[in-house]
Order: sequence, then C-alpha cells, then structure tokens
Amino acid sequence: MAGLQDIRRRIRSVKNTQQVTKAMKMISAVKLRKSQERLVALRPYASKMMEVVRRVVGRIKGDAEIQPGPAAQAFLSPREEKRIRVILVASDKGLCGGFNANVLKAANAFVSECPSEIVHLDVVGKRAAEWARKRKLTAAKEYHNLPLAGLQSVVTEISEGATAQYHADQIDALYVIYNYFNSPMSQTPTVFRVFPMEMDRRAEGRDAIEVSHLLEPDPNSVLETLLPRFVETELLRNLLESSASEHGARMAAMDKASSNAGDMIARLTLTMNKIRQASITNQIIEIVSGANA
Amino acid sequence: MSQTIKLEVVTPERPVFSAEVSEVQFPTASRGYYGVLPGHTPLMTEVGDGLLYYIQDGQKHWITVFGGFAEVGPDRVTILARESETMDMIDLERAEASRQRALKLLKEAITEHDLENAQAKLNASLIRIQAAGHPSGHGF
Repeated sequence: MAGLQDIRRRIRSVKNTQQVTKAMKMISAVKLRKSQERLVALRPYASKMMEVVRRVVGRIKGDAEIQPGPAAQAFLSPREEKRIRVILVASDKGLCGGFNANVLKAANAFVSECPSEIVHLDVVGKRAAEWARKRKLTAAKEYHNLPLAGLQSVVTEISEGATAQYHADQIDALYVIYNYFNSPMSQTPTVFRVFPMEMDRRAEGRDAIEVSHLLEPDPNSVLETLLPRFVETELLRNLLESSASEHGARMAAMDKASSNAGDMIARLTLTMNKIRQASITNQIIEIVSGANA
Repeated sequence: MSQTIKLEVVTPERPVFSAEVSEVQFPTASRGYYGVLPGHTPLMTEVGDGLLYYIQDGQKHWITVFGGFAEVGPDRVTILARESETMDMIDLERAEASRQRALKLLKEAITEHDLENAQAKLNASLIRIQAAGHPSGHGF
C-alpha cells in the first residue's frame, strides 16, 4: 500500500530531524554554561567598577576646585549628542528563535527614532551585518565567529577606538544594542549607553555626604585610566550577555523543535498503525468472505 | 570606628578574595606601596604589579596583583585587578617555566617592543615565584 510507505518514509525523516535538533540543543546547553560562567564571574567586577566610578565622579562633581580633564568630561558634563557610535550585537547563526529578530527590531526602532547621526557602526555577528546591508548602513567593522576567549581583545580594540574618538571630538556617545540575559529562557533586547554615563540621582546624593576621596596621583590621571577600563568592562559584559542569550535562545528553540518532532512522530505512527490495521482487516474480510462462499 | 577593613579583590575572570582583615598593603602604579589600616582616609589610585599583603588574625597572607584600581575607604579596600591570584592559585612550576621562557625571549629580543614584553613577562613570573616563596604566618 502506497500510503503506508509514504508515512514510514516521513517518520524516518522526522526522526532524523529530531536527532539533529536534539544534538544542537545539547551543544547549546554546553556553550550556554560556558558563557554563563564567564558572565557570572564578571558581574561582581563590573558592579564594583560601576560603584567606584560613581564614587569618583560624585567626588569630582562635588569639588569645584578640580578642573576636569577631557576624559572626565565624558562622565561629568556630556556634550550634546549629535554624532554617536553604535555597536550592534547579534549572532552568526540562525535557529535560535526570536533572538536575532528581536534585537534587530530594537535596532530598527533605535535607528529610525534616534535624532543624532550614527557616524560609526560596528556589527558583531553575520545576522547583524546582513541587517546593516539591508538598511543600507555601512558598518565600519564587522566581527564574525568570535570565540569566547577572543572577546577581550575585541573589547579592548573597540573601547580604545571609542575613547580616542571621543577625545578627538568625533563622537559624543557610545551605544550598544544587544540581548540582555535574564535567564536561559528569556532575553530582552536592550539599548545601552556606555558613555556618557547615566548617573543615578540617588547614588549621587549618597556620595555627596561621604568624605571625599583623595585621588592619587591626581584626579585627572585617575579618571583618564579609569574611563577606558570602565568602557572595556561594560562592553565585555554586554558581549557576554549576548553570547549567553544566544545559546539560551537556541537551546530553548531546539528543545521546542525536538518536542514538536516527537509529537509529529507520535501522530504519524498512530496514522500508520490505523492504516495498517485497516489493510489487515480488509484482507481478513476478503479471506473470510471467500471461505464462506 | 570599625577595627577591621573589608578587603575585596576582584578580576574580570573571578572574585579572588573577600574577607575582613586588619591591615593591607598594596603596590601602586606611581607611588610605591600603600599601607592601609582601619580608618584610612578615602582614596582612589591605580594599582601596579606586585604583591599585596593583608593581616588576618595576626597572620600575614599574600596575594599577587597585576594592574587595575584600588578604592580605599575607612572600612574597606576594593581592588579591581586586571589579574590576581591568592597563594593556592599559583602554580610554582608554571611560574618557573614562564620565567625561563621570559629569559629566553629577553635574550632574543630585537625591537624595543619585544624587550618590554619579555621584561613584563619576566616580572610577572618573578612576582609569582616570590609570592609562592613567602611562608604565610607569624614572624613577619
């Protein structure tokens, strides 16, 4: 019977697909664990860094005698935002649910709504590069297939470039568009301004009461070295968030796909059994009626 | 005023150390070593490469630090280090091997840049070896 053959073939093909999605899920789970470990390890450093920067900035703001140098300006009195540098972080590969779609949607909204001119765009991941081409935006640099261990050097490169551009008066702000990692199952596309830094009013008030810091050797040189480190840390955190999100999203998508394939196999098997049973019944009826006659 | 300082050492890779201690001394990038006792005036400075020590229950302990920032308050010292290890993280054999490598590089160095690189590597390995050689405990 032709129907039976067809269904058998389909079951086989769905089974193959399920094997692939299952394997991809496993791989994503391992990669997710690696990214997440690095992210969790970095978070205390990043939050301490943020705290220290806030304190120093609070201190410099509270003291009229200190003349902030060019680096300190980025923290203290932001220029009007006319030209900005944007880093868009997506993934190289697909098959990860809404991961890319969501972040690119956020990027679309950001690009069409933002009043300032994007003078410098970096894209991380092939999907982001494709998006930039579609939108007819020229990316200054594209980063593809970044290994987890290579993130640090990329981050240093971008951070040094961006701070230099800020000093040279070429850009006024640095933005990152990426997926924030809530949990392996949930990611939020986020637009984050790395600098000028958004100061939390409550934190400022608290710092003003505290005894002011001595800054050795002098306030400006401390800030001068602190700013690039801060930008670096934040960028590294963003890239890791995105990487963990990607693997989380892929794991969730592949898990869904595997269970869908399972459902499909169950449905097909049921139909197949029904058809087989029907054909057997038919044959028996034929034999019985033949014997009776 | 509290009699202890909360010493925290964190690197981008991991939190290295966090505990209440009674005294800390750390290397700075430009002004030699800073010793900190409880009630120190708030201070913020760049950290150099070298050995940090802290005293806990009358015992002296060592931690290596390589670059970064230190923030000092009356009851806390926060070190944001580029790299850092406590004693039990140091692998003496590896440090010794990296010292040999650095010495070799130093001999073969041609450009200024090579020379600086090799020098920095040698320094780092020497700091680690020195750290591993420090017995922690009384009688400092």
